[in-house]
Amino acid sequence: MQAVVMHPAGAKAGLRARPARALIPDAARDLETVVLPSKNLSSAERLGIYSHMYFARLVEVMEAEYPTLRQILGPEEFAAACRRYITKYPSRTRTLGSFSARFPDFLAKTLPRTSRNALALDVARIERAMEDVFDAPRAEPMTAEQFAALGAADWDRTRLPLTPAIRLLELRYPANEYMNTIRRGERPRIPRARASFVIVYRRGFQVMRRDQEPEQFRLLASLVAGRPLGAAVRGAIRGRGAKPDRVARRLGRWFEEWAGAHLFVR
Amino acid sequence: MPSADVRSPASRPNRWGLPDLGLGVGLRTQHFRHITTKWPEMDWFEIVSENFIDTEGRPLHFLDQIAERYPIVMHGVSLSVGSTDPIDFGFLDKLKALAARVKAKWLGDHVCWTGVAGLNGHDLYPVPYTEQGLGHMVSRVRIIQDYLERPLVLENPSTYLTFAASSMPEEEFIARLAEEADCALLLDVNNVYVTCRNHDLDPVAYLEAIPPERVVQIHLAGHTDNGTHCIDTHDGRVIDAVWDLYARFHARAGGRATLLEWDANVPKFSVLQQEVRKAARYREAAGRVAA
Repeated sequence: MQAVVMHPAGAKAGLRARPARALIPDAARDLETVVLPSKNLSSAERLGIYSHMYFARLVEVMEAEYPTLRQILGPEEFAAACRRYITKYPSRTRTLGSFSARFPDFLAKTLPRTSRNALALDVARIERAMEDVFDAPRAEPMTAEQFAALGAADWDRTRLPLTPAIRLLELRYPANEYMNTIRRGERPRIPRARASFVIVYRRGFQVMRRDQEPEQFRLLASLVAGRPLGAAVRGAIRGRGAKPDRVARRLGRWFEEWAGAHLFVR
Repeated sequence: MPSADVRSPASRPNRWGLPDLGLGVGLRTQHFRHITTKWPEMDWFEIVSENFIDTEGRPLHFLDQIAERYPIVMHGVSLSVGSTDPIDFGFLDKLKALAARVKAKWLGDHVCWTGVAGLNGHDLYPVPYTEQGLGHMVSRVRIIQDYLERPLVLENPSTYLTFAASSMPEEEFIARLAEEADCALLLDVNNVYVTCRNHDLDPVAYLEAIPPERVVQIHLAGHTDNGTHCIDTHDGRVIDAVWDLYARFHARAGGRATLLEWDANVPKFSVLQQEVRKAARYREAAGRVAA
């Protein structure tokens, strides 16, 4: 039954396919020996109810997770991509939180290479990160006293623990700005490709997104990777294209900004 | 000697003495904010267990607050007691932990399977109602109950097909499962209606076959009638025919925790309150008839 219900072309095609035939050779020819018809529906139509619901339910879950991506692709193209994904990666978990985790990578491999699709991929990565962060473990934010004490600490030995509810995304398009515009109900044009650096994080129980400057993003990525504070700052200053003066000027503000976002935890 | 028939409905206990929690509704995301700010009148809430597992985010934050003030019942959709896959004890650990966290009054799932070979269809698939199938499910339910250290409360699903191999009606299978596995039942009267419509069966006869002493909870919900068949969509009000079944069972069994499910086109919380309060009228009427 499962092989038939999960067949991408529907129950009738599923009955003709090899997995079903391997289990019940006569099922396609004489389905009524396995599933009885009802007064109103044939055996295949009854199986078709489950087949339809299988895909409809999972597509609905993905629609809720990727609303902006759906707007970019359009409902039909989005649903078709979901069905291909569901077929390639059927659910193997009891909860649905991580079901679509591979969807952005799947789209990267399967969507035609156009500027619209490149933007769509960036948006998919942001929306997937929002799901991950939504369910991520909790952590208590660092207190103001703990944060103030950092100034006097040995930066070459100090590692700053960051919340597990954060994802850092290096993107090809200004996808975060684009998402904000879409979510305000506008219908913007596809923007020109321009690298953007986005963090998706949870403050309390609210999932949020924010663009970062390149050096700022690099520094935060080093801290997330567990590098000592001093090494992380030096790396941000010496990174490709970095402007040391700007980093020095803005370093304090960046840390205040991150602390305000509760990115540092106890 | 007093017989069960002459006692008032409320005096017929279930096998475990689990309480009649009164009237509740399914806890849904759309109402989190309303519930945790208004603390509306509601006897209890039922949660879909899987929605609060593998997450430490907002849903659990609200559930913790709600569980402080209202009784909580856990109702799952992926235990897959009819599957041939090995029992997932890691998942049972998560259920146990959540039950302890919210002080769940009881926890349950469905008489169904949801997947085999490691896959999950996230649907409630029927099993062939055979002696072999019954033995298989009894064995699994007993192990699960031993591990959870509490009775499992299993619900009759809405079904859309019948296996030719079945040798007994669904209601007999469920009644025997409850008896032989010593588990509890959640009687979904909307599912009884939907299943009987889809299989051209008599819902009253179905109800009569369900042992009331095994039933600890009742579900009510709306469904979609497609003419040729009904789908259990939980997207609207309870129809009169389902209310009649509810009243009929209530007259026979007495007070049972009653819950309204509304999962699609979810309305304002006040609409849920109004709808579930209708059950009080049926409970009172049934009580008068039985008395």
